[in-house]
Amino acid sequence: MTVIASKGAGPFIAPAAILSLLVALVPVIFIFYNSTAGGTSTEAFTSILESNLFLRAMRTTVEVSLLASLLSVVLGYVVALHLARQSARRRAALMVLVLLPFWTSILVKSYAFTIILGREGIINSFLSWALGAEVVLPLIFNRVGVMVGMTNYLTPLVVFPVLASLLAIDPALYRAAEIMGAKPARIFLTVTLPLSAPGVLAGALSAAVMSLGFFIVPALMGGKQDIMLANLVDFYTREVLDWNVASAVGVILFALVAIFAVPAMLLRGKQQGAR
Amino acid sequence: MTHRRMKLPMINRRNFLAKAGLATAGVLAAPYVSTSYAATKELVLVTWGGNYRQGMEDGLVKPFMKETGINVTVLDTPDMAKVKAQVMTGNVQWDVFDAPGSMGASGATNGYWEKLPSGLFDEEDLTLKSKEFLVPFFTFAGGIAFDPARFPDGKHPKTFADYFNAEAFPGRRTLRTRAMETLEIALLGDGVAPAELYPLDIDRAFKVLEKIKPHVAKWVEATPQTVTLLQTKEADFSFTYANRIQASNRDQGVKLGFSFDQNLNGVEYLAVLKGAPNKENAFKFLSFAMKPEYQASCMEAKGGAPISRKAYSLLKPESLEWLPKLDATNNAYINDEWWATKLEATERRFKEWLLG
Repeated sequence: MTVIASKGAGPFIAPAAILSLLVALVPVIFIFYNSTAGGTSTEAFTSILESNLFLRAMRTTVEVSLLASLLSVVLGYVVALHLARQSARRRAALMVLVLLPFWTSILVKSYAFTIILGREGIINSFLSWALGAEVVLPLIFNRVGVMVGMTNYLTPLVVFPVLASLLAIDPALYRAAEIMGAKPARIFLTVTLPLSAPGVLAGALSAAVMSLGFFIVPALMGGKQDIMLANLVDFYTREVLDWNVASAVGVILFALVAIFAVPAMLLRGKQQGAR
Repeated sequence: MTHRRMKLPMINRRNFLAKAGLATAGVLAAPYVSTSYAATKELVLVTWGGNYRQGMEDGLVKPFMKETGINVTVLDTPDMAKVKAQVMTGNVQWDVFDAPGSMGASGATNGYWEKLPSGLFDEEDLTLKSKEFLVPFFTFAGGIAFDPARFPDGKHPKTFADYFNAEAFPGRRTLRTRAMETLEIALLGDGVAPAELYPLDIDRAFKVLEKIKPHVAKWVEATPQTVTLLQTKEADFSFTYANRIQASNRDQGVKLGFSFDQNLNGVEYLAVLKGAPNKENAFKFLSFAMKPEYQASCMEAKGGAPISRKAYSLLKPESLEWLPKLDATNNAYINDEWWATKLEATERRFKEWLLG
């Protein structure tokens, strides 16, 4: 960013920057202001930090986000690797399939997942038939269900940046590595993986940031314990109408996002600086 | 206002700025001239989306516009956060608010509604009396749904006592992820008389819930799931709403059953926002909405039980089948005033209990 800006791109970036400052920064400042009741009180923070409900929700949020991002990155990487090896036409067709879950309503998807993962769902029916005994694996309305639902939504977010990184790798590098006698595994580890790292980082970051704010997937596909911070924001904003507490939860959520985002940005800056 | 409105069509490029300035002045002056708004021919109604909205428009809004000549703008999704923001900033844009019980009561406590003038309604005809800030618009019946093909008569629970009796009626149940309704049905299930339900004995309710916990297949956050879980056989019995089952039986192959032997009725209210720009029209709308003929046409179109007694005789027999009986004594009504002061603490306790 700084490199580009110093080359006189400032005037071109300015309108977008000003707009995003206005529409994003001003409300964020308002939320910070609100969370302390106008800078006069830390009551909202103490009340939530003493609340078992809030602490549990925070733990769940972090756990779910980390695990869901990790799974999405692994799955997304495999998909992107496969897409990168297809012809351009075939790739375009497959990319539509990757985007399909993105365009489907979550209510519809949760219904479909219930049919697949449910007690009498496709998987359990098949296993019961194959093993000749009744199998009822708990695959939905628990953490497993949450992970299936979240990775289904997050994987496309990972696939696209990773794919962009993979496609940017000069094919000559692969040939050079082969000529030097490297086996496929070695090529993957020394060429593909490091060069696609910026995409992985970008994908993982978007997945993590996105999942921190999730609540409808855990609500529909999770168990009773899968309550997220976003649920609490909603509860205090719309039901209790206590905006101080809602803002305080929001500020903490914001801090969590920053914990994920800042190291990733620094790492990225380092990588770009190194090139 | 009318003066400005008449001139609007003549706006052209030349006088646009002048007009815009005038309009801005009008908007800025609006809070000080609110009485002159009595003459407006506009009304903004905030109501729920989808089929519900369609029913509101066909059964109520269109006849209202025809009779009064007032133009009604219908918006989706009553949201108390937006009400709070509008009243707080003094920039009120909504007139009539279609409020589920808890929202209606919390708005009344917070002073977000206009006081309703007396004489708007025929109180004798209403099964639930109008209140200072709210008029009950209709009720919706919460109760037990089941799949009659899998659980014929005698095998499925009919009352809340049955629902909380897992030994007599084995099966996987649903309950909601909120204290409101869940605590009520737990107490009714434990034998509390509907007339003595409030104030809720919260400790007793949690004891009842503790016992039923292992038999709950899913604690449901989103209402549609109360029905889809039955359809996918994830749950055997479900706490849901009569209108949801009615709609799903109309649209889907699987015919589900719903018990009217005991119901917990929720009340939906109409309210007028404090400082509403078209206050007089809003009162007119409320009065209109409570007349028997429009109570009937509106509920016929979107489901729900009329508050007007006379409306019942105007409903089709097949619609009556989906309404709780008017004079049933073991049905209870959610007491929204009780909840208005207890919501935060009780919900927090409930959600913490769910985590445990």
